[in-house]
Amino acid sequence: MKRFFVFVFAFVACVAGLFGQARKPTLMVVPSDVWCNQNGYVTTYDNQGSEVVVPDYKKAFQNSPDLLLVIGKINTLMADRGFPLKNLETVLRSIEQTTAQNNLISSSTSGSGLAESPLDRIRQVAQADIILQLTWTVNKNGPKSYVTYNLQGLDAYTNKQIAGAQGSGEPSMTADVPVLLEEAVLANMDNFTARLQSYFDDLFANGREVAVTIRVFDNGSGLNLDQDYDGYALSEIIDEWMYNNTVEHRFSKLGGSENYINYEQVRIPLYNTRGMAMDTEGFVRELRRYLLKEPYNIDSKVIPMGLGSATLILGEK
Amino acid sequence: MKNLKITLWVSLAILMLPLDLSAKNKADKDAWNYQYEIQCAGTGVDGTYMVKVWFYSKSKKITVEQAGKVAVHGVVFKGVTGGLQGCPSQPALMRDPVGKEAHKDYFQKFFAENGDYAKYVLSVSPSVERVKVKGQWKLGAVVQVAKDQLRKDLEAAGIIKGLSSGF
Repeated sequence: MKRFFVFVFAFVACVAGLFGQARKPTLMVVPSDVWCNQNGYVTTYDNQGSEVVVPDYKKAFQNSPDLLLVIGKINTLMADRGFPLKNLETVLRSIEQTTAQNNLISSSTSGSGLAESPLDRIRQVAQADIILQLTWTVNKNGPKSYVTYNLQGLDAYTNKQIAGAQGSGEPSMTADVPVLLEEAVLANMDNFTARLQSYFDDLFANGREVAVTIRVFDNGSGLNLDQDYDGYALSEIIDEWMYNNTVEHRFSKLGGSENYINYEQVRIPLYNTRGMAMDTEGFVRELRRYLLKEPYNIDSKVIPMGLGSATLILGEK
Repeated sequence: MKNLKITLWVSLAILMLPLDLSAKNKADKDAWNYQYEIQCAGTGVDGTYMVKVWFYSKSKKITVEQAGKVAVHGVVFKGVTGGLQGCPSQPALMRDPVGKEAHKDYFQKFFAENGDYAKYVLSVSPSVERVKVKGQWKLGAVVQVAKDQLRKDLEAAGIIKGLSSGF
């Protein structure tokens, strides 16, 4: 009996611990488009007559040992601070493997494949909440070489730069590029993590900053955001819900029409009223439940895009 | 006569001992209270800072304890100012403005004589720069500080927050 109580106590403590912690953002180091372009790690395709250049990360990883070294060093330093990063090379490989496996999976009775929408494919690629964009150039000053290094922390949902560290290393006549790069990472990492820490402090004090989009299904029901409820347009009702449910009523309405509303800089609480960790999907699901009730009775579909962005499509599920 | 001489010398040595201790304490106090500057002196090996500290003292002599204490104090509270190219400024480990006062007891013990600060002083350069400034000495030395271990220990003691705390 005593053992049973100990077990129950330990279980409750674990569950409370899980609920009590905010969801940890995922971070991933990605070489910048500029670096990929300068080093020839790009592919070009024709998009309806216009040439589009996109980075080819796989090619970069297969050909640049310096890139592996820098990413490896940043990953090690961040893991040392209790913040292990996602490895882009592994993520790319994992996506390839999953795609190959999914293509081969078929039902033994009907032979049908896995159901996968185009959106599912995009979601699989969107892997990190904060992207650490990395650029460096090797410069020459007479016989001496030095490295100019730039690491930017970008919020994948608000597109804001939340941390950064830039600088040029000490010119050297003898040191190789890998040594110069390692020095650059070591010299700049504490500044970067200090700014990242300030961002996390702000997140705990003022809520997570996210983006929310409201759309309407074109299903012939005639529902739109101008529809009146007691003299108030549906868009106003949603505005009021946002005002009442954001941290210190902080949100910006970027634009809207009868078919869509874009909200940015929406400060959502890290925990819901039940004390559970909340992300944007959870926040938008609360709005969905609100609109499902009387007098609105509007069903809707929630499409999460990672930790900091979600779309609510009104009209049906 | 010979015995008298020995007795006199021994007595003199005993009398001088408190003076010597007092000078050492004074030097420590100088390092703690007086203004100091801390500047990047190069990229140290992984997990360390190479810093140059300048501090003021009545004494011309520099001790490893003085220089080490100032360097660790600077890394914790002040941050390191940038030096030449490739030597960027570094943030202080304690960025909470009220943290120093809030953990006063901890830091008094930490920076006391034979305190834990000494664990993080890896080396002090033997060459010392001296400048005489208005009746006192401005002393400069390069110190290597184990900043990663220092940060980890302060995080473990709950003095500073870790990057992943709260998640």
